[in-house]
Amino acid sequence: MAKSDDCVHILQGLLVFGNVVIGMCGIALTAECIYFVSNPHGLYPLLKATENSDINAAAWIGIFVGLALFALSILGIIGVIKASRTLLLVYIILMLITFAFEMASCITAAAHRDSLTPEHFQKQMLERYQKSEPANNSEVTKAWDELMLQNHCCGVKGPSDWQEYQSAFRLTHSDADYPWPRTCCVLDAQGLPVSLDGCKLGVPGYYNSNGCYDAISGPVNTHAWGVAWFGFAILCWIFCVLLGTMFYWSGIEY
Amino acid sequence: RPHSRPRHSGVHTMIPLLLLLLPAAHGIAQLSYRPVLTTEPLLEGVTTASTFVVNQPRCIFEGYDNAVIWLVVALDQAASNFNNTAGPGTSETEFQGFPDRVRAYMTLNATLGSYPCPKADGEIAVLRVGSETSCAQDVTRPTCNGPLPVPGPYRVKFLALEGSVPVAETAWSTPITLRTAKPLSSISTAGSGHSADMIAITTILSILLAILLAGLVAMLFFWGSDSCGSSGSFSKPESVTVRRYNTHHVYDQPAA
Repeated sequence: MAKSDDCVHILQGLLVFGNVVIGMCGIALTAECIYFVSNPHGLYPLLKATENSDINAAAWIGIFVGLALFALSILGIIGVIKASRTLLLVYIILMLITFAFEMASCITAAAHRDSLTPEHFQKQMLERYQKSEPANNSEVTKAWDELMLQNHCCGVKGPSDWQEYQSAFRLTHSDADYPWPRTCCVLDAQGLPVSLDGCKLGVPGYYNSNGCYDAISGPVNTHAWGVAWFGFAILCWIFCVLLGTMFYWSGIEY
Repeated sequence: RPHSRPRHSGVHTMIPLLLLLLPAAHGIAQLSYRPVLTTEPLLEGVTTASTFVVNQPRCIFEGYDNAVIWLVVALDQAASNFNNTAGPGTSETEFQGFPDRVRAYMTLNATLGSYPCPKADGEIAVLRVGSETSCAQDVTRPTCNGPLPVPGPYRVKFLALEGSVPVAETAWSTPITLRTAKPLSSISTAGSGHSADMIAITTILSILLAILLAGLVAMLFFWGSDSCGSSGSFSKPESVTVRRYNTHHVYDQPAA
């Protein structure tokens, strides 16, 4: 029947198109997640210290899901063209498993964006910055120093963090000499404060008065949004393609 | 003859002289200036846990070119009891005994030349009380400007001494309280709850997954039968073969 054949061909064409899009999105998802995992802003030690490294785990899952989507889309295209029931059944089941993983990754990324409050970072910074005992604190110290140097910021909400709360830093550095760490001072080319007295007094222009929270939350939020919402969009598309595939499968002559 | 004490001839001049000297002995000029915490420019560290910053007394001690201007730092309750004649650097005013034994100490001495009048534009004329950490325990430096050990409150005033004689003083400042650091446990890291984003994603994705699983189950359940897809059933393209049935069991007759 010509009409039925046309319908069949249209459905096949749609499914092939759907799978091509899935394949490309899979590659894009992999690329995006590799970018996040490569830690471009040096924030991974800070996130690990706040026990918020689940966003990283979500990105790792995203890498493998992206590759799986690419492979499965090829399988799907072959299955649709060959109208093979077994191939398509394998495709559907594997795609459902991938769907479940990507769903977990999206929800994790979205949920952990909520727990990145300034207070979390404040607590972790005050507890661990310049604390010498456990060796892994030096990573946290280095990460904070680099963050403060590169972004010309101080503390999480500002230099007053060091004044308002007790800290490991305060135990080893007296308040009169170090109201806040030296990295909060405006430094010259040699890495020394332009005016140490100006920095200790808090004269505008000789110290960094803004907090680093924006510098942290910006990239991390983009990261989480990227993984969560792009993954969500891909999953909606996969949903449509899978429904179409199931319909196609049930119509293949056994 | 009335008995009277013999009087010295100069007695009559002595009493007026004495009366003249008395105001000079209590002649500490009371300047109306009151030391204040620095507000111009706005300093982040105007008060910290152990230091505070006051304005320099510019154009206050005019005329006292020979005097040394000291800063007196006292606990709030001890301010009114402070004895101006207590010299700086003695055991009653040494910083190292503050605040247990000594209730007020003297530090940051300077001559009028350090406080030129008028103040140049853009110059930051401040005194940071508590900035010298090296001499805080050194009793050979009793006028050390050491870090303040308690949050206060404190009152300060400037006192001008010529030699060891106080000649002018400012008023006491209003009480200054330093900052106290709160413990880390006071930072509340309780989450703000789940945002709408996360709830939306979770709900929608769960529904989609449920629909897909239902579809899979329906698909497998109707595996064998030609279900509603029968009207659109289509055959595999490359296996279009016409089966030939030998319905009549025609065999090649062997040559009988």
